Amino acid sequence: MELHIRDVSKTYPNGVQALKGVTLTIPVGMYGLLGPNGAGKSTLMRILATLQEADRGSVHLGDIDVLARKDEVRRTLGYLPQEFGVYPKASAQELLEHFALLKGIAERRARRSVVEALLRQTNLWEVRKQKLGGYSGGMKQRFGVAVALLGDPRLMIVDEPTAGLDPAERVRFLNLLSELGENSVVLLSTHIVEDVSELCTRMAIIDRGEILLEAEPLRAIDELRGRIWRGVISKEALPGLEREHAVISTKLLAGRTVARIHGAARPRPDFEAAEPDLEDVYFCTLAGHIGERRERLEPAAQR
Amino acid sequence: MKFRAIFRFELAYQARRAWLWLIFVALIVFAFLIARDGELAQMLYSDFFVNSPFAIAKTTVAGGIFWLLMAAAVAGEAAARDVATGMHPLTYTAPVSKAAYLGGRFLAAFVINAALLLAVQAGIVLAVYLPGVHPDLIGPFRPAAYLTAYFYLALPNAFIATALQFSLATRSGRAMSGYLGSVLLLFMATFVASMLAFRRGIGKLLDPVGMRFVLDDLSHAWTTIEKNWRLIELEGTVLANRLIWLGVGAGLLALTYLRFRFAHKTPRSTWWRRLRRRATLAPTPTRLGVTASAPISVPEVARTFGFALHARQMLAIAWTSFRTIATSRAGLGTLVFIPLITVLVVIDQVAHSGVVLVPTTTQVLRELTAPLSAELSRWVIIPLLVCFFAGELVWREREAGLGEITDALPGSEWAPFLGKLLGIGLVLGVYMALLMTAGIVAQAIMDYRTFEIALYLKVLFGLQLPEYLLFAVLALAVHVVVDHKYVGHFVAMLAYVFIAIAPVFGVDHSLLVYGAGPTWSYTEMRGFGPFLAPWLWFKLYWAAWALVLAVVAKLLWGRGQERGLGLRLRLARHRFTRPTTWTAAAAVGLVLTLGGFVFYNTNVRNEYLSASEIAERSAEYERRFKQYESLPQPGLTATTLQVEIHPERGAVDIRGTYDLVNRSAVAIDSIHVETASSVETRDVAFDRPASCELDDEELGHRIYALESPLQPGDALQLDFHVLFEPHGFRESGIDAPVVANGSYFTNAALPVIGYRSDRELTGAGDRLAHGLEPRPLVPSLHDADACKKRDGGSAFDAVVGTVEDQIAVAPGALRRTWTENGRRYFHYSTDGPIGGQWAFLSAHYAVHETAWKAPDSGREVAIRIYHHPAHTVLLDRMVHSIEASLTCYSRLFGAYEYGHLTVVEQPGNGVGMHAEPTLVTFSEGFALQKPLDPPERLDLPFATMAHETAHQWTVPYAFVEGAPVMSESLAWYYAMQVVRETYGPSQLRRLLSFMRQPYPIEPIRRGEPLLRGLDPWMSYRKGPFALAALSDTIGADRVNEALRRLVEAHRREDAPPATTLDLYRELQAVTPGEFQYLLHDLFEVNTVWEFETERVKAEPADADAWQVTLDVHARKVVVDEAGVETEMPLDEWIEVGVFAPVESGYELDQPLYLEKHRIASGNQTITVTVPRRPDLAGIDPYHRLDFIENEDDDNIEEVVTGS
Repeated sequence: MELHIRDVSKTYPNGVQALKGVTLTIPVGMYGLLGPNGAGKSTLMRILATLQEADRGSVHLGDIDVLARKDEVRRTLGYLPQEFGVYPKASAQELLEHFALLKGIAERRARRSVVEALLRQTNLWEVRKQKLGGYSGGMKQRFGVAVALLGDPRLMIVDEPTAGLDPAERVRFLNLLSELGENSVVLLSTHIVEDVSELCTRMAIIDRGEILLEAEPLRAIDELRGRIWRGVISKEALPGLEREHAVISTKLLAGRTVARIHGAARPRPDFEAAEPDLEDVYFCTLAGHIGERRERLEPAAQR
Repeated sequence: MKFRAIFRFELAYQARRAWLWLIFVALIVFAFLIARDGELAQMLYSDFFVNSPFAIAKTTVAGGIFWLLMAAAVAGEAAARDVATGMHPLTYTAPVSKAAYLGGRFLAAFVINAALLLAVQAGIVLAVYLPGVHPDLIGPFRPAAYLTAYFYLALPNAFIATALQFSLATRSGRAMSGYLGSVLLLFMATFVASMLAFRRGIGKLLDPVGMRFVLDDLSHAWTTIEKNWRLIELEGTVLANRLIWLGVGAGLLALTYLRFRFAHKTPRSTWWRRLRRRATLAPTPTRLGVTASAPISVPEVARTFGFALHARQMLAIAWTSFRTIATSRAGLGTLVFIPLITVLVVIDQVAHSGVVLVPTTTQVLRELTAPLSAELSRWVIIPLLVCFFAGELVWREREAGLGEITDALPGSEWAPFLGKLLGIGLVLGVYMALLMTAGIVAQAIMDYRTFEIALYLKVLFGLQLPEYLLFAVLALAVHVVVDHKYVGHFVAMLAYVFIAIAPVFGVDHSLLVYGAGPTWSYTEMRGFGPFLAPWLWFKLYWAAWALVLAVVAKLLWGRGQERGLGLRLRLARHRFTRPTTWTAAAAVGLVLTLGGFVFYNTNVRNEYLSASEIAERSAEYERRFKQYESLPQPGLTATTLQVEIHPERGAVDIRGTYDLVNRSAVAIDSIHVETASSVETRDVAFDRPASCELDDEELGHRIYALESPLQPGDALQLDFHVLFEPHGFRESGIDAPVVANGSYFTNAALPVIGYRSDRELTGAGDRLAHGLEPRPLVPSLHDADACKKRDGGSAFDAVVGTVEDQIAVAPGALRRTWTENGRRYFHYSTDGPIGGQWAFLSAHYAVHETAWKAPDSGREVAIRIYHHPAHTVLLDRMVHSIEASLTCYSRLFGAYEYGHLTVVEQPGNGVGMHAEPTLVTFSEGFALQKPLDPPERLDLPFATMAHETAHQWTVPYAFVEGAPVMSESLAWYYAMQVVRETYGPSQLRRLLSFMRQPYPIEPIRRGEPLLRGLDPWMSYRKGPFALAALSDTIGADRVNEALRRLVEAHRREDAPPATTLDLYRELQAVTPGEFQYLLHDLFEVNTVWEFETERVKAEPADADAWQVTLDVHARKVVVDEAGVETEMPLDEWIEVGVFAPVESGYELDQPLYLEKHRIASGNQTITVTVPRRPDLAGIDPYHRLDFIENEDDDNIEEVVTGS
């Protein structure tokens, strides 16, 4: 079963074109959707989660038309929105049972056992009777996963789940997600590159409503091997360097500026070859050195 | 500086919101309609200028209530926006003082609200000066009228409401709490302030919005002239009320200021929470998160979809919705506080209403129910709360931030909509159950043990709950469709206001007003009668509409991000699943068929006339036929009727003959016959050749030309046949004079000879609008023509048939009864002529029969009481009263003229009685009075029965000013004589004390003199008081003698009808010269005596004598109709009394001293000596002249003993 997204576009009433002909094929497993803030990730996620209408295009999950037969999708959908709240006065167990019922787990004993399993899985079993109002951000997020996992979803949409988590919570959370990818389509949107590199077998990079790159993270990194150069420069030298070379990122390291450059040849003698990582892929794609944007830029450059 | 910045930002921010302007416009329109219509339910009783100060004040109050419901979010937003949006960490950490932050926000909200309320004044101005108002109805422009209304009523209201809304919203951090503040204020005004125990004064102070102290109090106390000219002033009740509530507002603000902290909101640690925490605070797990290797092992379980899922989802949502509301503050208030206070209200209404009732379930239920549209009833808060709950539920998921998760769950939109509806339904159901418990508890407290649970269930769950549920569907649907919380509330409120006062918007027919329909009623005798069926048909019709609304709400249910109405409309097409389509089709089909059926009944089978059409018909009648008013017509001398009552089909069939005679001096060549519109009149025929010249069925006027004119003194017979049978039901419900048990109708259905001026429009505004000449409501006392008209009375003979197991009653003596063709017949006829109103009744009566023998002549009078078999408690008292009355009256005022007196019970929960010659009818409520025994308690049924019996001595009187004084005042004076004769002066004092209570008849200080008295205060209270005062002064024998002469002079058939002038003349004749002034003061001018005892000291003089010193103040004023008071010099003999303590009962029963003293205007000291230690003392202790008894009786003071 795969998720096929064909030529999906969406323009908001205020004229912002959030998605421009997005086409993607997402197989079973973890799939990362990487992009800067405002790239259109959440719009795409909501369209997949049946919460928003596309202006154009089609989405199919296996043979279900996601845009037209929403209710069928919802039966097999797990959705963890970017931001969500809880009823502060309800306990985790109570609210999860409520959601289990709403998701069609009618039989009381089955519902109990599913809820218990999920609460244990997300390690909320011991605090199951506590009011959700007193939960920390991480606990709340895990509760959200438990809700999303109800009803054994074959399509899991997870929108920027790690944004507010501390490092330890984040690792645990991602571990939980990776378990899911074994027999479901799990679509994870994030602007944190590590989330994707650590988890996803496939990924796409989206910016300003367009898919710029669709790849397997490891292969994409491989393709950059030998084209990434790293050097320490002074702050004043940066503008000049940017004029002459394709600087993809600059970082401060112990008070000095470390620049990474994309290019076929060593740009300056004081630069050394660097091991490429997914962040390089991400920045190269956004800057148009690889991927869709390059294909569009190059013909223009040749003129 | 910062204060100004906060204030200005808030002002600018809110002023940009579109809904605020929506409210502004709505307020203008509302004020316009109210000012133009001038008829918000019972708010108005007489005509005056559109722009009279009182009309402006009234509209200001009504507009203020409207504003209260619509604009609660202004203060709520200002107080809670930061917390609600999560902005508070930023604003709270800014270097701003609490005073600047709260003050700026509050002031901005107050200024906005004050500005919004200007719209009301703008609406009034537009209503007055835009075209469409007759120039005669517009008084001179007086800015002060608008300014006083705005500054004394609107602005303080704005301050109080804003303060309360602001405080609640600050405390809860939710803007909608402001709305609860509004509901709370209305609760005070409608629920609390209307308690009878509070009615004397405090009620007017407890009302924060002006419903009581302006609409009720002033509209009652002010005369028409005052209403036109007098400005509302800050004095008396108005001032006290404003000060109290401004104080409450300021106190709330201070409290808010003190409690407010710039701090993160943590759950408050109340005792309640502390108790619960032990149970809920589980230990925090030591191991956080998920271990890397843990495989996901959720058991595979079966899931069900389709209808079963929807049903389960719906129930789950219903249950959580119910729990959310029931545990919220507003919900707890609804479910706990309202039922609790209802117990008090029921006791209050049943016990304090002057008339002490047996708290039967029927009586209690009257207090617990009200139609949805009764905007002035105390239950108006329930629809308001339903609106609030609907908004809370529709927004629940989104406000909790769970919207995206729940929206992405499987299942149709039916589940959340129906679930939430069911949730509200559950809340209302529980509320009804608690209300029932409250009623039962109230009954138990009052020692009544016959709980009719089935009746409670039928009425509360079968009749009242559906009414609320229909409205809940509307409120939910509005919130779903509007999808903006404040605008949703605004629209829901608008919908409610429309339902409540649809006629103001020009919509009369119940088919056009959501949830409307005829009302039901229940009495023990009649049961629900035939009134339930039309109620049910209308409700079914509206239930079909509710289904349509539900389909609309389902289709437009906001799910996901697409919230625009246009988008949702487009999406709705995809939501037309098969079940939805079928439901929609069924709903529309039901609306059409049920609506068609109802319309067929109300407008096709029966005639439907809107209020304006009815007025137009009256006007047309007058325009066309007034010309015949002075045309000589034959008078009625005898009536013979054959009345067939058919209770089983609600029909009656009357064949009758009138014997007419030409009493005028000219020959009559045409007879004008006026037919009643509610019945079919056919076969009108004369015993001499005549032809019908005109038959105007619509206006009910026929003209028959006689071939040979009727010469003076000649007689003529008129035969007619009148049929009544209900065909289906009318818009107003069912017209049911004849019911299965408890039929009651009068001769209003029979034809009348000659033009009927009582069909004319009476309101000055109405007459002007229809181009008719102005006419006084009641002809002047000095209108010589009107004073001469006399309906001489006529002989009456009727055979009344009914079903075999019922008894039929009509005026006259029962001559014979027989059974024929399975029907029972009763023949009634009178010995002599009787007055022109005859009642006919039929029911399963039990008869209580006795006879009274006149002591002097030995003549027997048969007394028959026809009553509902279960209503027997008061029978002996009634008989006792009738016999005592007959004995007393025939001795004092003249013989009883008939050989029988019939008293009949009729269905109805009122406590009223009605007397016609030989026939007294009473409503069931009368029979449900609690029997209380003299001497300790007032035996009110005895006194009332004596009053009705006294009407048998009411002389024929002219229908001019003072007419009700001639009838009611005299009958009460008679009754006082019987009460004193039977039970002694102490019981009479009790009766007078009861009559001085401000309920049900409130005293009016200003007004016309008694001779021209018309209103209930004049006729039922002041008249009897004046006669009693006179008889105290000149002696009862003299007054009785005057009344006996009046009876003698006017009972004669050829005598002219009496007026108050005749009464006055007789009284003048018996009053000694030195007391003529008193007669004048009591009858010719409206005099108010005011006595006050300031201090009473007592000292023991010797072994068995106490010297009592009273400091008293006395004053006498004459108050005219315009309310102008003229101080008069006082120099009169006034009673002074000193009283010994009493163990129980009436505290003035044991006078130690009671003598008249010469009292002058101003302060004076009186010293008397009494034999024992006194307890109370005062001037005019029994209020013989100072009729208006204040809150705490200031005529009497406690004696301070000193040495």
